[in-house]
Amino acid sequence: MSEANIEGNTGAPTPVGQEPHHFRRVMVSWIVISVVGIVIWLLLAPLILPQGASNLDTADDFTMVVFTVLAIPVAAFVFVFLGYSLIFFRTKDRPTEDAVPLKPRPGIQIGWLGITGVLCLFLFIWGMIAYYQETSAAPNANTLIVRVTAQQWYWSFDFPQYGTSSQSQVIELPVNRPVQFIVTSEDVLHGFAIRAMGVRVDANPGEMTTTPVVTPTVLGNYTVNCVELCGLLHSYMWESVNVVDQSSFNSWITSQGGHP
Amino acid sequence: MSQEAIAANTAEVGRPTLRQQMFPSVISGVVVGAIGAAVLSIIVNAVTQGANQDATVAALYVGWVFFFFAGIGAYNDVLKWGFARREPTHAEEMDLAGKGRGLWRYFRWTTDHKVVGMQYLATALFLFFVGSMGAFMIRLEQSRPGAVFFPPSTYNTIVGMHGIIMIVASVIMISGPFGNFVVPIMIGARDMAFPRLNALSYWLLFVDIPIIITTLFLGGFQTGWTGYAPLAVQELTPGMMAYCFFIIIFAISTTVGAMNIITTVLVLRTRGMTFGRLPIMVWGVIFSVLLSLAAFPFFMLSQIMVVMDRIFQTSFFEGAYGGNNWVYQHLFWFFGHPEVYVILLPALAIAAEVAAVFARKGIFGRRMMIGSLATISILSAIVWGHHLYFSGSNNPLDAPFMLDTELISIPTGVFFLAIIGTVWRGRIWVTVPMLFVIGLLINFVVGGITGIYLADLPTDEILHGGMFVTAHFHYTLVGTAVFGFFAGVYFWFPKMVGKRLNPFLGQLHFWLFMVGFNGTFLSLFYAGLIGEPRWSANVAPPFAVPNTIASLFAILIAASVFVMVYNVIITLRSGETAVANEWGGKTLEWMVPTPVPLENFVGELPVVTSTPYDYGTPEPHPSDVEGRLEEDLRLQPQTLPQAQAEG
Repeated sequence: MSEANIEGNTGAPTPVGQEPHHFRRVMVSWIVISVVGIVIWLLLAPLILPQGASNLDTADDFTMVVFTVLAIPVAAFVFVFLGYSLIFFRTKDRPTEDAVPLKPRPGIQIGWLGITGVLCLFLFIWGMIAYYQETSAAPNANTLIVRVTAQQWYWSFDFPQYGTSSQSQVIELPVNRPVQFIVTSEDVLHGFAIRAMGVRVDANPGEMTTTPVVTPTVLGNYTVNCVELCGLLHSYMWESVNVVDQSSFNSWITSQGGHP
Repeated sequence: MSQEAIAANTAEVGRPTLRQQMFPSVISGVVVGAIGAAVLSIIVNAVTQGANQDATVAALYVGWVFFFFAGIGAYNDVLKWGFARREPTHAEEMDLAGKGRGLWRYFRWTTDHKVVGMQYLATALFLFFVGSMGAFMIRLEQSRPGAVFFPPSTYNTIVGMHGIIMIVASVIMISGPFGNFVVPIMIGARDMAFPRLNALSYWLLFVDIPIIITTLFLGGFQTGWTGYAPLAVQELTPGMMAYCFFIIIFAISTTVGAMNIITTVLVLRTRGMTFGRLPIMVWGVIFSVLLSLAAFPFFMLSQIMVVMDRIFQTSFFEGAYGGNNWVYQHLFWFFGHPEVYVILLPALAIAAEVAAVFARKGIFGRRMMIGSLATISILSAIVWGHHLYFSGSNNPLDAPFMLDTELISIPTGVFFLAIIGTVWRGRIWVTVPMLFVIGLLINFVVGGITGIYLADLPTDEILHGGMFVTAHFHYTLVGTAVFGFFAGVYFWFPKMVGKRLNPFLGQLHFWLFMVGFNGTFLSLFYAGLIGEPRWSANVAPPFAVPNTIASLFAILIAASVFVMVYNVIITLRSGETAVANEWGGKTLEWMVPTPVPLENFVGELPVVTSTPYDYGTPEPHPSDVEGRLEEDLRLQPQTLPQAQAEG
């Protein structure tokens, strides 16, 4: 965050007098705290973030880990400077004299702008590349198409390739087969989201919206949520998604009246 | 108007009678307003034969507003001076400003900016109290899985009312009380540029509060504070109309107030108060009201369209009849995102103002900080599309919106550089306002950084519409802006009221609030990370633990609210009297006596010769140009002849 300041100080003669070398001390604590923070985050991240159940979700979680690694030194910089100032530059009572004004030198300003600008560009470019990679896959013949229709206050799922629709509050998806959801709404705005699979798009009345092609990778039971407030029973608008192996999927789709 | 009547008016001196006190005042306003509302709604109900409830409710609100203003005497000026074609005399202006009215001036159509500022402060605190009660009901409901305490319809109404009341409260909380009370004194003015409009902007807010309360008797509204159409149009009860009219009236109030503040700062600065010497607080308020001037008309427009959809079936937003719900979302967020910065910018300005006073040190890079606030306000107007990343509508614009949004982190970083440079090597006096500024900075780091995840497409894909968003905007709006508001309250309360708030209770308020707030919303970040959607009356079992923890921490916030209320009450009853310059500040409001006299400055207006931050030596040290930070810090301290800071 402030390499400019560090550079300005290397090779400086040690100041005379009792005054401790505040700036060096705070920079060292910043580096130490940042490193410790990053290590702790990398250890904790697998516990905090839920297991990614699809290729999209795994990628999204990875982006989150990377951004947090970058965020820790930024946050630590403010916390360390603020905390240090409060401990060492605090007066016990109403101060009787003024402090010495500091003026920013162009070097600090330009360095600061440069570093935040580079960080910002990194976030943007990373985000664009990551999102492009996630969304660029086009559906092909193997892709399972699921039509999702939202209504106050439930979801219905059609499987046009199998000529049937889900007869209950549960749908099943085959593992490792790409799937694309085509989403619409019958009445008001709803939000279609499966957190564990990293898919999310609004269900708009009179419009078709699609999610990226997503491949479930982990067997398990997940939840479809409505994430746009859609009226009275919005918070009851859940449904289950079971990711199962191909043969279970085939028998399930047959049991729903579809041709396998 | 006859000559005798003019003479009678101008000669009006001495103690007014009880009848003169009461009529016109807020009491006659409420009485006349209620009668007007009843009459108008009965007429419309009869005309529509009771078939259009929304039209009846609209008539109720229109009648209430217009007749309230008749009752409080808002039109009297037009009759007295407008039709008489003469300017009011100075004595008449002073009478209108509440001269000799005692405490009753707070309940009348009073034009004095200090009265309006106090009215705004009391209203903001009242709205925060009401809104926080809604928050505690939300935490109560979410403390257990399943809809246990409230049925979903009640819960949705509570969430919507909490949201919109808090948004309104936080839009006015700084530009209202401090923008009206403190800013004119800071720039050396005797009053606002348009004193009557000032009264109008406050009383519009006042009439607005009963309107949102009436939703409780009209079946509530299910849309939350965003009021998304077509749900808002589909809504079967007329409670939605309360929301729409609340917004429409509030937008007028904000626009009138914003225009007034801008004009005041443009034309009423005293001699020597150049733009280069304006205190940072004035800049913060100016950027905020400029943004609200640009943003609020869109909110008002969108609500007028919803009202028309409801009353006249115009179907602006109904897909089935050729409308489009994305239009509403764009209109709403075109207002909605700048609105966040309307709330945030003056809070950041308060942080800088307070930090400079309590570090006894000029703001580090003052121009740089003003530039950062200006850049934030410009950028914030072009980022609204990030609310629609996953609406399915505007894919080609996702990238530019993402870039704009992330660019805001650059001026925000500059703000942090400036504020760290201000406290660095200061002589930091940790008072209650300073504590709140420290809390603000810590929370703003968390709120700002979590904003990055929501601005970036791949991470927003798993977080959008979830509790993570809720936690993020509470960190920026409550953790940052409301903390800034409380810093301002503790900072300027002695000047505005003339009494000292109890510092021990102030510290208790801060610590309860800070710990409770962080506990609550850090757990909600976690709930959002594992996928909890927003607005759930019915918390799903996987999210039960973080929600219960959040609710437990919210008890601390509730306690802090009551500590604050208690502190204000005992201070008003028996607080210590404050001195004119309570903290050793250098802006003009600390140079006038406490309580501030009518027209603020006794005798001539002051002439300003320097910036209000000339703590320490004003000369730049040679090492400012070259050399190092450490050295110029070490060389200078003994050269200071300063003692003038103390008041």
